[in-house]
Amino acid sequence: MRIFRFVAAALIALSLVAGEGVRAQETQSPAAEEIMRRLQQAFFYAGQDFAAKVGMRLVDKTGHERRRSLTMLRLNAKEGRNQKYYTYFHAPADVRGTAFLVWKYPDKDDDRWLFIPAIKLVTRIAARDNQSSFVGSDFTYEDVSGRDLGADAYKLLREEAMAGRDCYVVESNPKAASAFSRKVSWIDKTSFLPVKEEYYDVQNELFRVFTADEVKEIKGHPTAVRRTMKNLKTGHYTEVVFENVDYDAGLEESLFSERSLQTPPAKWIQ
Amino acid sequence: MRKGLRVPLVEFSVEHPRWVMVLTGLLSLAALTQFPKVKTDTNPKHMLPETADVRRFNDEVERTFGLYEDTIVLGIVNEDGLFNRETLERVHRITTEVLQLKGVAARDVASFTTVDNVTVEGGTLRASPLMPEAPKSAEEIARLREALLGNPLFINRIVSADAKTTAIYVPLEKGANGKAIADSIRKIVAKEKGGERYYVAGDPVARDTFGAEMFKLMAIFAPIAGLVMFATRYLMFGDLFLSIALMMDAMIAILWSMGLLIGLGFPIHIMSSMAPVFLMAIATDSIHIFNEFYFRFRESKDKKTAILETMQAVGRPVRYTALATAAAFAVLLFMNIVPVRVFGGLVAFGTLALRILSFTFVPAMLTFVKEENVERASRGEDIATSRTSRLLGRLASLGARHPWKVVLVGLGFLAAAVVGLSRIVVDNNMVEWFKKDSEVRVADRVLNANLGGTSLAYVVAASPEDDFIKTPEALRTIEGLQRHLERLPVVGKTFSVVDYVKRINRVLHQDDPEYETIPDSKDAVGQYLFLFSMSAKPSDLDNVADYPFRQANVWVQLKTWDAEAMRSVIRAVSEFKAAHATPLEFKPAGIAYFNLVWNDVVLWDMVKGFVISLVAVWVILAFNFRSLRWALVGYTPLVFTVLLIYGCLGFAGKHFDMPISVLSCLSLGMAVDFAIHFVSRFQSRLSETRPAPGAPEGASVTEALVWTAARPGKGIVRNAMLFAAAFSVMLLAPLTPYVTVGAFIVSMMTLSALMTILYLPALIVLLRGWLFERGAS
Repeated sequence: MRIFRFVAAALIALSLVAGEGVRAQETQSPAAEEIMRRLQQAFFYAGQDFAAKVGMRLVDKTGHERRRSLTMLRLNAKEGRNQKYYTYFHAPADVRGTAFLVWKYPDKDDDRWLFIPAIKLVTRIAARDNQSSFVGSDFTYEDVSGRDLGADAYKLLREEAMAGRDCYVVESNPKAASAFSRKVSWIDKTSFLPVKEEYYDVQNELFRVFTADEVKEIKGHPTAVRRTMKNLKTGHYTEVVFENVDYDAGLEESLFSERSLQTPPAKWIQ
Repeated sequence: MRKGLRVPLVEFSVEHPRWVMVLTGLLSLAALTQFPKVKTDTNPKHMLPETADVRRFNDEVERTFGLYEDTIVLGIVNEDGLFNRETLERVHRITTEVLQLKGVAARDVASFTTVDNVTVEGGTLRASPLMPEAPKSAEEIARLREALLGNPLFINRIVSADAKTTAIYVPLEKGANGKAIADSIRKIVAKEKGGERYYVAGDPVARDTFGAEMFKLMAIFAPIAGLVMFATRYLMFGDLFLSIALMMDAMIAILWSMGLLIGLGFPIHIMSSMAPVFLMAIATDSIHIFNEFYFRFRESKDKKTAILETMQAVGRPVRYTALATAAAFAVLLFMNIVPVRVFGGLVAFGTLALRILSFTFVPAMLTFVKEENVERASRGEDIATSRTSRLLGRLASLGARHPWKVVLVGLGFLAAAVVGLSRIVVDNNMVEWFKKDSEVRVADRVLNANLGGTSLAYVVAASPEDDFIKTPEALRTIEGLQRHLERLPVVGKTFSVVDYVKRINRVLHQDDPEYETIPDSKDAVGQYLFLFSMSAKPSDLDNVADYPFRQANVWVQLKTWDAEAMRSVIRAVSEFKAAHATPLEFKPAGIAYFNLVWNDVVLWDMVKGFVISLVAVWVILAFNFRSLRWALVGYTPLVFTVLLIYGCLGFAGKHFDMPISVLSCLSLGMAVDFAIHFVSRFQSRLSETRPAPGAPEGASVTEALVWTAARPGKGIVRNAMLFAAAFSVMLLAPLTPYVTVGAFIVSMMTLSALMTILYLPALIVLLRGWLFERGAS
């Protein structure tokens, strides 16, 4: 099934951009969909589990900042593409203790729960829109946990150097109405991490730019430990810094439950 | 030459008319070369410099809260209700297309399909666009209806309480043209069939439509006015060549001054675009030269002598009227508003150019005119036989013979005018610059009747410390302010961060209306807002609270664009602040506030300019007549005209707005012209006919008055008619300021001519002892 989809998409991509397709074939480049699949693996699925302390800086046009500090834990399912995310907020001070749990399924809507400490309430949150902002930042939920591979049609535009890295340049075109009309990604040929991504809006104007500003290899996994998303239309940007990154730390399944929303696992939350 | 007053410039021009022509032609060509560089600026906002406090503060508020300077409102009305499949599909389709328009800030368009709704369903909190797709089944439609009408945030903003009207709010990127986008939106809705009606409203629509229409009207009107003047002149003098010469006089002055303006790099602004018409009007003063020329030619039968004598006779009043007009406009150079200064300088320059032309170009042109044509035309120019002259003579003698009656009747009118004057309101409402049945005004009226209001103000609540806005205390104060403001009849809706907090509180408690309240702890507020920022568009929160939660922004929708509405909001805010102890400071902002400040600053600047002009004109009159007393008498037609017109405005309930304030300056320049001509010519007639110095006999005064009314008076009446004829065309204009201009000028001309011919003689007769006391001439 997956193979079939992949082949079909590759054929479509080839026929759409015959010129580039032929050249890509000549140089033995992988097809666009394959590149994006490997990007997703490297960027969102690396390791069996993942833990990091995340600092976010939300900066508006006038230079005002809001800071967020959170711990993020991720666990991949033993089989298949399902994932679980646990997020605990340390700052700002008045939201300390707020915790957020996501069970992510590639083929249906995610399950999400939020714990609000002021009223000691766990509430389920509907996950209709993965393209809405993640905690008020310029990143969307999709930017944090990945977009469904089947949602877009891909096209390998060219290969070129970007920020000193050899890159594939892939264009993604959403199949259904979306917050962006197309996306152009520069993807590192060795690490398969995105170096830069440009999002174009419904008027086909560039409106968001992602850059991976610093990449470190941690336990054999290249990791973008500093990244920025800038909204060109509003002048707003968000910088994210990953600290204490760890892979395969042995996160247990039970961490990702409603219970640990109310009583945070002290071992993982510092 | 008799009595010393030689005019070397005129003599030169008469001797070397070709040189004068060539030189004038070259200068005009040079001016013409500047025209391709023309830049226009139709935005009345730019009347205030970027450094003006209100623009700075508005910019700051817009930056802090991520707001837009301009928003277009598209209203959609279905009398049978919005909640049916077809209408909702249309709303969806139209929004999708509007999002594609260049210049539209797509990310913040507010419509059913884009606005986030926070709800709870079966224990699950949901934050998503209200209507991402048009609903298909009756059940889905019912659910949408419930979601919309059940959320106070939406009522009167994107849906009316009776569910018949919705609005799409279309914010514009900086620098986008509101009219162009409004036109594109109109094209989009024109494709839709069905019973819905569409209304495009909002400040940028009115402003940019007005700007575009204005330039169009100027391009149509100025030539028509010119043509009408031309035709009227031809009828008056029966000589084509002279009519053309008179017209060229105006055209050349317009070329020179506009060329200079463009050459200096100034954009043509609303006010300066009116300058050509003003100059055309001022140019009509040269009719006195032609008027006198015909009389003189009839007397001397020699063209050159007639020209030189004419210029001697009218040279002085022509020079002083020019000086008075130029001074009245030059005063504007000292105002605060840059476009007002530019306008004043432009017209003052043009006036001076016109007068230089009167002493060079006009006499030179006169030398080319065929003698037999003048001969023929001047046959009618005899004060004994001309019907107009006889009528004018009779009018003047009515004034001179029954001075008390005339003066008392005038005083009666004056008293009534003062009553009217006390009722005048200084206000400016750009939507009312359009006619009642115009698209812009109808749209505004319908949307204001059905939704919260098309005019938007902000009240920024600022606290001394970070995060203070999250305290229940601050939120309760803001909520109190909102309820207080909503009591004003002009306020249709308010909303703020409080409304979001209350909404989240309710939704987190199983949608229980009991919980539509402000929670008791700051942490709870902080976490609710955090939840809100996790689910809604970030801009939703940014629009109402700043980053450090030091400031909150209260949106106040107003149902009228009157500056007075905003004044009442500011008053209500101060009342509230006085009655409640709170560390919050409240400051107004937004387009409605801008309009208020604009109104006060620009209009009062014009009022101030007008008053100073009055003084300047009086000083010039005093110099011209070399007598303060004569200046006072010469001043009366002007004061009467102005007071009577404003009195009528007051009675008619018409506001003193920008077009009228500009006109006031023109009225000064023109109304005083007549008096200058009349008094100057009267005085020289008197000194020519009077045998001995000293106080003249009553009979000789009356004789001189009747003569003045019959001969230069004819020039005055011709001038007035020319003017009135040209400007009456404006009565047909589609924009009310132009109608106002037309009506204003027609009545001003008629009044001030009448005042000069009838009232001045009465005054002169009554006050002659005082006026002639010591060598007063």
